[in-house]
Amino acid sequence: MNGSIQWISWVKHGVVFGYLIAMYMFLISMAVGAHLVTLFAKAYYRDEDFLPLEKVGTFLPLLILLLMPFLLLVDMTHPERSYTMYYHWNWTATVAWGAYIMPLCVISYALHSFYLFRPEMMVAVREGRPGAGFYRVLLRDRIEAGSAAEIRQRQQKAERLWANLTIVFSFLALIYVGMRLSAFKGRVMVHSLAMVFIFMSLAASSGTGFMILLGRLKTAIVPLTQPALIKRNRFLVDFGVILKYALVAQLVIWVLYLIQLNFTGTGGKLAAYIFLGGPRAMQFWILQVAIGLILPFALVLFQSLRENSLASLVAGAATMLGVFFAVANLSIGSQLIPLTHLEWEKMAPEPFRTAFGIIVMVILFLLFLASYKILPYETPVSQKSEA
Amino acid sequence: MKKLGKDMDRREFLRGLGTTAAALGAGAVLIQAGDLVQAATPLKKYSMVIDTNRCIGCHGCTIACKSENNVPEGVFRSWVKQIIKGKYPHVKNHLLPRLCNNCEDAPCLNDCPTGATYRTPEDGVVHVNRDKCVGCHTCVLACPYNSRFINPLTGTADKCDFCYHRITKGLEPACVDACTGRARIFGDLNDPQSEVSLYLSKYPVQGLRTYLDTKPKVHYVYADEAILDLDYSFLSRR
Repeated sequence: MNGSIQWISWVKHGVVFGYLIAMYMFLISMAVGAHLVTLFAKAYYRDEDFLPLEKVGTFLPLLILLLMPFLLLVDMTHPERSYTMYYHWNWTATVAWGAYIMPLCVISYALHSFYLFRPEMMVAVREGRPGAGFYRVLLRDRIEAGSAAEIRQRQQKAERLWANLTIVFSFLALIYVGMRLSAFKGRVMVHSLAMVFIFMSLAASSGTGFMILLGRLKTAIVPLTQPALIKRNRFLVDFGVILKYALVAQLVIWVLYLIQLNFTGTGGKLAAYIFLGGPRAMQFWILQVAIGLILPFALVLFQSLRENSLASLVAGAATMLGVFFAVANLSIGSQLIPLTHLEWEKMAPEPFRTAFGIIVMVILFLLFLASYKILPYETPVSQKSEA
Repeated sequence: MKKLGKDMDRREFLRGLGTTAAALGAGAVLIQAGDLVQAATPLKKYSMVIDTNRCIGCHGCTIACKSENNVPEGVFRSWVKQIIKGKYPHVKNHLLPRLCNNCEDAPCLNDCPTGATYRTPEDGVVHVNRDKCVGCHTCVLACPYNSRFINPLTGTADKCDFCYHRITKGLEPACVDACTGRARIFGDLNDPQSEVSLYLSKYPVQGLRTYLDTKPKVHYVYADEAILDLDYSFLSRR
């Protein structure tokens, strides 16, 4: 139609959703993915010894979800007005839905975490262990009698209720991040229901990678008895199996998505080209596919590799990196397509925002490690059953 | 105050939670009730027709808009797109004056989380309330025409509103006033005798990305297909 265009004058618009928003969507999908994978694994094992990993898969995502709004607020030019979303909502705006879904998700995770730690906190208060004063405040001074297992038995209903609610809100959160991109009507790369499924597959793989990485680190930091260590390692090795299938699912969904793009007119073909040979090709082939998909798959393919701590640590970290770039490729790549002119949109450098995102990630990682040392993840060995 | 004490059981807690949620929901609905009531059929339907045959590419509209609306450097509410097609000696110059389409089904309005983007019910013009906009950039991405930008001075979303401060006083938008070739024609589409209605009844009309069903209210006459919607395969061939 316009192959003979020689020259064009146009106003360029650049990229408005940069790496900070990509980080926001990546961390949400990873957090809820880690939680969902943990809950489904727990339902499969039905083993008391899985409990410390369930705490990792609930409390650490809670920390992530608590810090996430800051990424969004820093990206806004008027964050001081963001509260208006809560009463001037617009039902057709996905961000308005997110303003409700994400806090509800945080509340459900917080209450689920509370019930997971509650029995151990009670035992810690009774035995005067470190943090007893803080736990007493959290428990509102209502200390029950019995061992941690007995207390857990009594609170089973409440624990299950909040666990079920976290599942509901986790799926809503994934639908929210998927629809946050798919809502952009004129952007052919993301204006598709495929986004929701892509984010679900990304959540499954990054969440499992996260659990392997943080589970292994926890095992390295917190000393365990030999039988407990053997069992913990078995769970972590099994997470490697989950990761293997999650990566296959991610690959299948991406292949289907790229095929679908090729049948979505010239805009769709261009969107596929952005990944395969265009401006995001390096990030797609090297960071997303080679490092984020093929490397972890190779590292969790065989039982011997899954049992190797270093190999599984690398597999977990590589998966997370790959998923981050998958989200960034979708979010940033969709904005590189010019809407009616003939030059790729350019992304301006964002040193402040990128630095802020990295600082948030470092803070999160330090909080994770600190929580391993402070919070009662493991059931105390010597418990007094009497109050 | 017994219910707020330690003896509250789960049923009471859930009942209280439900009542509070219902009260908050009702309050929020009441806040928006005014907007909902006003969203009736507009009395006027402001629209613009641009006859591209009359455009001489002087960029007078761009400058008039910048001057009228204090649009900062580097961003535009209105501008002129230009392409040159063909090879010498068969070269053609095409021009397409651009501005916000003030769509009837505006994606920017649908995606605004705070209601900062709104439509005046009496005339259908889409506006940005600078006091409500949080600068989340969502509308900038949602607009399929790249007609929005974040104003570097105010930090809020910005776009053309047909010079609302002028049209409500009976004047024409600044770009229409400044157009040398009278390529831009503005008026009320609900008035069959307005210049814009008469023009639309005489000529076949084109629009930008009409397949998106946004119902743009800026119409074009005699625009080249290549300037309206580009063939993206050009980019992948390079």
